[in-house]
Amino acid sequence: MALLEVDHLSVTYTPRDQPANRAVHDVSFHISEGEFVGLLGESGCGKSTLGNAVLRLLSPPARITGGRVTFDGVDLTTADEEKLRELRWVDLSTVFQSSMNSLNPVIRVHAQFADTFAAHKVPGDVTERATELLELVALDRRVLRAYPHELSGGMKQRVALALALALRPKLVLLDEPTTGLDVVVQRGILTRLAELRRELGFAVLFISHDLGTVLEMADRVMVMYGGEIVEDRRAADMLREPRHPYSRGLLGSYADPRLPDVRVSYIPGRPPDLSRPHTGCLFAARCPHVEDACRTTHPDLLPDRHGLVRCLVAQSDRLPVVTLGSADAATTLGSHFPATGTLDRPADAAEAAPVLTVTGVSKRYTTRRGLRTSSVEAVRDVSFALRPGVVTALVGQSGSGKSTLARIVTAVERPTSGEVRFTGDDGTDVRVDRLRGAALRDYRRHVQMVFQDPFSALNPTRTVAYALSRPLANFAGLRGAAARERAAQLLESVGLAPAGQFLDKLPHQLSGGQRQRVVTARALAPDPRVLIADEPISMLDVSIRAEILELLGDLVRDRRLAMLYITHDLLSARLLADEVLVLNQGVLVERGPTREVIGAARDEYTRLLLDSIPNPFAKAAAG
Amino acid sequence: MSTPAPAVPAPGADTEGVQAAATAVARGTRLPGWFVILWRNRKCRIGILMLAAFVLVAVFAPLIAPYDPRDDAFPTSLGPTADHWLGTTAQGEDVFSQLVVGARTSLVVGLAAGVLSTLIGLVVGLTAGFVGGWVDEVLSFLINLGLVVPALPLMVTLAAYAPVRGLWLIIIVISVTGWAYGARIKRSQIITLRTRDYITAARFAGDRTARIIAREIVPNMTSLIVVGFMGAALGAIGGEAGLAFLGLGDPLTVSWGTMLNQASLGGAMLTGQWAWLIAPGLALSLLITSFTLINFGIDALSNPHLRED
Repeated sequence: MALLEVDHLSVTYTPRDQPANRAVHDVSFHISEGEFVGLLGESGCGKSTLGNAVLRLLSPPARITGGRVTFDGVDLTTADEEKLRELRWVDLSTVFQSSMNSLNPVIRVHAQFADTFAAHKVPGDVTERATELLELVALDRRVLRAYPHELSGGMKQRVALALALALRPKLVLLDEPTTGLDVVVQRGILTRLAELRRELGFAVLFISHDLGTVLEMADRVMVMYGGEIVEDRRAADMLREPRHPYSRGLLGSYADPRLPDVRVSYIPGRPPDLSRPHTGCLFAARCPHVEDACRTTHPDLLPDRHGLVRCLVAQSDRLPVVTLGSADAATTLGSHFPATGTLDRPADAAEAAPVLTVTGVSKRYTTRRGLRTSSVEAVRDVSFALRPGVVTALVGQSGSGKSTLARIVTAVERPTSGEVRFTGDDGTDVRVDRLRGAALRDYRRHVQMVFQDPFSALNPTRTVAYALSRPLANFAGLRGAAARERAAQLLESVGLAPAGQFLDKLPHQLSGGQRQRVVTARALAPDPRVLIADEPISMLDVSIRAEILELLGDLVRDRRLAMLYITHDLLSARLLADEVLVLNQGVLVERGPTREVIGAARDEYTRLLLDSIPNPFAKAAAG
Repeated sequence: MSTPAPAVPAPGADTEGVQAAATAVARGTRLPGWFVILWRNRKCRIGILMLAAFVLVAVFAPLIAPYDPRDDAFPTSLGPTADHWLGTTAQGEDVFSQLVVGARTSLVVGLAAGVLSTLIGLVVGLTAGFVGGWVDEVLSFLINLGLVVPALPLMVTLAAYAPVRGLWLIIIVISVTGWAYGARIKRSQIITLRTRDYITAARFAGDRTARIIAREIVPNMTSLIVVGFMGAALGAIGGEAGLAFLGLGDPLTVSWGTMLNQASLGGAMLTGQWAWLIAPGLALSLLITSFTLINFGIDALSNPHLRED
């Protein structure tokens, strides 16, 4: 018998104000002792709900409406709280995405271990055992004496992992354990996790939206879509030949940025609304291989080439064959986005006069605590220029000074030394670092920003039309019907057509990708010369990232904008940018045309960034 | 990205989701969303009905009251009779008529002082929180001062030494002593809101500070402002009654506080006129109870988690 058996499990959300939503529908799977299973899906697919249901941690309005979860012979769906308390953490522990916030901020790490041991009556010396556990996750024993706020995000997540392993559980449920952490830190934690599992032999259910990570770590992968499992297959097989069109689409959004020809695909459309009844396949509306039968018959999860798949086309063997990770994969998969890189750029772009020049800029932050002052140099002696029609990527891990540079360029902050110059179309020359008042407002007409988080960049109480009308009123003097007409044009230029459907919507009625398009449209409203995009795709679902990148790329080239693209993600930099600047601790360590920098990195730090990208294809190539 | 489909906002601090949620709730009905949420809560529904009854009595007071509350032509110190349901005062006025007309005073003071102290709190709190720097230091000092100065003695002193008398004096005294708590809450809320990306975005769109505060931030604080207003109005009604009971009220207006004051001076306990003493006290506590009950519903408005039972 398997360690964890989930049998026809359904979970329904029944909120008072919205129609009931069947977040998990008739899901069955099992995990054997010591098996590493990945559960993959995009936001809203029900993967976290499924995880919480397995732990019996659902709170109203969510309810298990059918099926059973059996763990180690115990039926968790009917077990009483006392029985659950004995099982949780001892045999079944968890690390959540926000586990770093689950550490109690007012007690030291040592005390958190002591609590865990005391609660489950573990004998022996706390310090000794805790030190051992911290060594497991490659942390020094000094961490024991620290308070949570004295640790970095990655260290806190390691402490959470050590705590989860404290009682040697048989199954650890990891729900997006590294999302929100830096790529380099993520790499460290995942490597350690893989080693630990080999040493200790626990089973893992690894929930993530990040296909690269899951495929690299897991033995077996389950793909979830619209509350159902659509494919269940060994990771190696999944890599070689995914059988569900959705899995294929997800895999298509990965590629090795070092290859000479990089192409990624995306899946157009949106996930289904689970509060409405559906006939037929839930993925049919977005599927490139859809057939008539798919719209009327709901497929079952049936055995297919050593795995399970829920797709009529695959089951009747009519799926086209693709080799993933290669250039032709993207074209076979429908919508695709070829790496522009240096391919089809107008030849004169590199020689065009720069619109924005940054020369020898440094920024020092001074903090005063009592009598002592300490200072941090966030950016040191950085120079670069932005040219029309050219995308310049600024890459580096968090804390490398990327965002500080963005704030200096947009005149939100002033540099400690150095200068920033903006040259207008009419030849006017502006010293950006000395702007204030009306001149600053005037400068913002030319330099606009696309924000990282589309969920916080739009005011939740204001309609799309209002958001777009403000820059139009302030910079172009358009009001009323004229502003509305222009706003509609802007929406269509970012691919939100027909615009009439979107103008009067509130942000919460839009998907993440649509919001990011609205944010982009707002940035375009004053007809700027320079666009600063600060991680514009990092909060979006994998399957639509390429779509937004394509939009940004088209805008730059059609409107001859100069763009500073800030990211930690080298694949997206490779796809979008013409030139790359690598920033490490405030210093530019490498720069040059994208292909050269990423294809043949010279600096050690650049290589570290490249190696940290989750890359399932590398594993496939090696093994 | 791991949030399940019907994302439930975290309890507490976040007031931004309220507006959006309220619009979603109202779908299919003609009533505004906030009212639907309030009405569905049983405690709140009772509170709303009670308050509505008080408001109706206050509005139609001249029609309901059988006599002029100042008419002292009746026999003095009567117990409840068929002509005078709650008896008469030591001066020979009808207690029931005073009770009915007194509802006006309490509600007017509650509304006016509530609005006034909410406005002061809003202006001070928003300015301190949004502008920051030394402006914040100075305003925060004032807020802290307003919080630590004991309100009742200050009210008594202000009311006792003020050169003028009248209802407006009472309203102003109550507002001046009662705005600080609301200001403190609004200041901390705006500090969390002002760092949101959409505020930066509004700056990039060329909007000026005043407009950003009024059009981008305030709509996201509606529920907090309403809660603040309810609290301030409640305090004002109690404050007016207290001042009037101490004899510091406006002697020319009829209010529940002055009734209590006169009942006490007129020896209602000695003459056995329990109705004269109990009626205004009961009315006062019922009005305050109605506000408290409504506040349960307002909690649900600002915290979506509470709506699910």
